[in-house]
Amino acid sequence: MDAKTGKRLQRLRISSQFFFTWLFFFLLLKSGGAAIEHLPQTGFFFYIDPLFLWVNILAGPFLQVFLLALIPLIMTMVFGRFFCGWVCPFGALNQFFTWLGSRRQRKKIAVSRSSLRLKYLLLIILLVASLFASQLLGWLDPFALLTRSSSVALVPGANFLAQHALQSGAQNQGWVGKIIKPLYDFSRRFLLTVRQRTFLQAAAIGLIFFGLLLLNLYRRRFFCNSLCPLGAVYGFVAKYSLLRLPLNENCTNCGACSNHCTYYGSPFQDYLKSECVLCLNCLNDCPFAAIDVRFQLPRSGKRPALDMGRRKILAAAGCGLAAAALPQIGVNKKAKAHDFIRPPGAVAEKEFLKKCVRCGACLQACPTNAIQPAVFQAGLEGIWTPVLIPVNGYCEYECVRCTRVCPTHALMPLTLEEKKQFKIGTAVINRSTCYTYADGYNCAVCEEHCPVPEKAIRFREVEVYNFRGKLKKVKQIYVVPDLCIGCGICENVCPRTDAPAITVGAEEEQRENSF
Amino acid sequence: MKRRTFVKNGVLFSSSILLARPNRAQANPDTAAAVIQVKGESPYEITKRAVAEIGGMGKIISRGDVVMVKPNIGWNRTVEQAACTNPEVLRALIELAFNAGAKKVVVMDNTCHKAEDCYQRSGIEAMARELGADVRYCDESRLVAHDFKGEYLAKWPVFKDYLEVDKFINVPILKHHGSAGLTIAMKNLYGILGGNRGKLHRDMGENIAELAGGFRSHLVVVDAYRILLRNGPVGGRLSDVEMRKTVIASTHIMHADVAAAVLFGKDPRQVEFLQAAHKKKMGEIDIAKIQVKLLTV
Repeated sequence: MDAKTGKRLQRLRISSQFFFTWLFFFLLLKSGGAAIEHLPQTGFFFYIDPLFLWVNILAGPFLQVFLLALIPLIMTMVFGRFFCGWVCPFGALNQFFTWLGSRRQRKKIAVSRSSLRLKYLLLIILLVASLFASQLLGWLDPFALLTRSSSVALVPGANFLAQHALQSGAQNQGWVGKIIKPLYDFSRRFLLTVRQRTFLQAAAIGLIFFGLLLLNLYRRRFFCNSLCPLGAVYGFVAKYSLLRLPLNENCTNCGACSNHCTYYGSPFQDYLKSECVLCLNCLNDCPFAAIDVRFQLPRSGKRPALDMGRRKILAAAGCGLAAAALPQIGVNKKAKAHDFIRPPGAVAEKEFLKKCVRCGACLQACPTNAIQPAVFQAGLEGIWTPVLIPVNGYCEYECVRCTRVCPTHALMPLTLEEKKQFKIGTAVINRSTCYTYADGYNCAVCEEHCPVPEKAIRFREVEVYNFRGKLKKVKQIYVVPDLCIGCGICENVCPRTDAPAITVGAEEEQRENSF
Repeated sequence: MKRRTFVKNGVLFSSSILLARPNRAQANPDTAAAVIQVKGESPYEITKRAVAEIGGMGKIISRGDVVMVKPNIGWNRTVEQAACTNPEVLRALIELAFNAGAKKVVVMDNTCHKAEDCYQRSGIEAMARELGADVRYCDESRLVAHDFKGEYLAKWPVFKDYLEVDKFINVPILKHHGSAGLTIAMKNLYGILGGNRGKLHRDMGENIAELAGGFRSHLVVVDAYRILLRNGPVGGRLSDVEMRKTVIASTHIMHADVAAAVLFGKDPRQVEFLQAAHKKKMGEIDIAKIQVKLLTV
C-alpha cells in the first residue's frame, strides 16, 4: 500500500482517537453539571470494556448492558487491537505524549520482550485476585484510571490554574485586564466551578497519572505496551485475528517502518500481531509501498508470538493469590465498627468491594465534592473506593447523581424519593465541644441546615450555668437518630474551627454490615 | 513630572473616585419610615404597587446608579417550597430599577447550599439573566474586611460587590428560622458576609441588629407571598408553606421587619434581633407606632 493511502489511514486513525477522547471527557464533565433528569450515559466506556464484563459476571446481578463489551472483542478477532489504537482515550493520550517525545526516539531501541510481557502477567495477577473478592482491576484498567485521574487531579487542577491565571489577569487595570475580564466572566459562568474542588490524594493520583504520561517520553506508549490489562486481553485475542500487515517484494529491508511503530517492532523486523495496535504509522513511513493490508486466516504452525513461559504464568498466579488473601486478613476486616460512610445506594460492604471498580465516576458527579477516594479508611483493598467526607462536602438532599453514574451498580440507582429515605449514617453530637453544651452559647447552625423536613436535629431550651457561673437559657442541640439520614451537612457547616462538634458515622447505616 | 503624566494621573485619580463610590451610609436617616403592605393575586403586580406607594423607584434610584438587588437564594429549593425569594417579586424590582435609569442591576447572594444549585433551582438566575441583570456568584477573592462598628459585630469579611454599588435593595422572603425565630430583611444581610458565618450564631440577635445598623438598605421589599411557617430556614415540606400573597415595602429596614413579624403572627418583642435593634434605637418595635398602609390589589 502506498504512502498516500497510508497517510490517509493515519489521519483517519487520529480523527477517530480525537473523537473518542472528546466523547470521553464530554460524558465525564457532563456527569457533574447536567440536571439529574438529563444525565448522559456516562458509563459508555465502561460498558464496552471486557474487563468490567468480567467483574459484572463475578459480582452479579448481571447487567445486560455489559454485553456491549462483546462487540469490541468480536471486532478484535477480525481487526486485531484496533481498540487500543483507534478508540481508547487513554491510548490516545499516551500516543499524543509519545508524539511529543518522538524526536528523542529516532534512535532505534530494541524491543524488550519482557516489558511487553509484563501486561499479560499483570492481567493474570488481577484476574486471579478477582476470583477471591479482591477487585483490583480498576487500579490499572485504562477507563477507570483515566476517569479517576481526571476527576481527582486533571479537571480540578486545570480549574485551579485557569481560575488563578484568569483572575489575576482580570484584576489588571490596563489593557490586559480589559481583554481578560470578559474571558474570566465567561469562564466563571460556564466552565469553572464556583468553589475549587478538592480531593484526598489528589497529589498521589495526579502524580501517578502524569508519571504514566511522561513515561511515554522514555518508551513509546509505555502504559499500553507494558501495563494495560485491557490491552493484554485484546492482545491475547488479536494473536488470532484476521488482519495482517504482510511485506511484499518491494521491501528493501531499510527498516523505516519501525521509526514510529508503537511497540518498536514493525512488520519488517518483528511482527507481533498481539502488540500491533493498528496505528498504521508504518504504512506512512514506508518509502517503497512495501507493506500490504490483508485479511488472512491464521495459518497453522509456528506464528511469531510472545513466549510467556509457564514459570512466569505460575508466578503471576501466585502473586494474584497473595493479592487476594493479604488484604482480607487485615485487622479492619474483623472490626464491627468502621470509621467511614459510603455514598447513598451503596450495597453491603462485601458486595461493594467486589462491584466497585474504583473508577471515580461518582467523585466527578458529586456536586458538593463530598465523595472522596478512600485512603486506608476502608482497608487495603478499599483504596480509591468512594467514601463520604462531610467536612469537605455534604450529601445534597435533592441529588442522586452518584447512584446514576455508577457503572457497576455498586451504588444502586435510586430515585429521588428513595434517596431521601436512604440512611447512610447517623449524626452524633460531641457534647464536650458543641457550643450549646460546652460553652453555653446558642448556635444551631446544624439545626438550620438539616434538610429532613421534620428536622432530625432539634434543640430544647434549658437553663444552664455557663463557664462564668451565670444561669443562662440555652438552646441545646440534639439529634433524632430515627429521622437522621446521615447526609453530613451538619458536620459540614459546624462553625467550630478545630473539629466539627457534630459528626456523621456509619451507625445504623442502611446496608448490611458484612465484612 | 511631565505634564502628560500629570494630566494622565489626574484623570485616572479623579475617575477612580467617581467610579468607586462606596456604600458607606450608616444607619437609617429616614424619619417618615412608613410601611406599605400590599395583598394581591400576582406577586409581580403587588410588588410594583408597593414600590409605587413608597414614591416610586425614582425616589430611591438616581439615573446611572449601579443597583444591587439582594434576594435570599440560600437554598436548593423551588419557589413552592418558599425558602428563597419569589423570582416574580424580583422581576418587578429589576424592571423598575432599569426603568428608573439604573446603569446596572446586580443580583448576588452567598448561599448555604451549593451556589449553582440554589441559583438555578430557585429560578432566580434564569429570570434575572433574562432581564439583563448581572447575576454574580460570590468570589472569595473579592472579600474585604468591613467595619460594622458594632459591639458584637465589628470587622467582618464582606464581598466587595456589595460595597461597590450605589444602591442596595434588600429582598428577603419571610420565613421561620430555628435559632433566630424569623428571617426577614435584617437577617437577609447575612448573605453579604463571607468567612465563618456560623460563628455569628452566638448572640445572634445582637449580631443581626448590628449588621443591619452597619450596612444600609436603601429599600426593603419583604416577599410574603408564600411563607414558611415551620422547619425553616431550609424547609422543604409543602405542608409547612402557607400562601399570604403579600409584600411589605419600606425604606426603613427595622419597620419592615416588625410589620413582617406581625404578619407572620409573632410578637416582635419576642424576636431577639428586633429586641436588640430596638435597644440600639434603630426604630420602633411597637407596630402601633409604625405607620402601616394596607392595600389590596
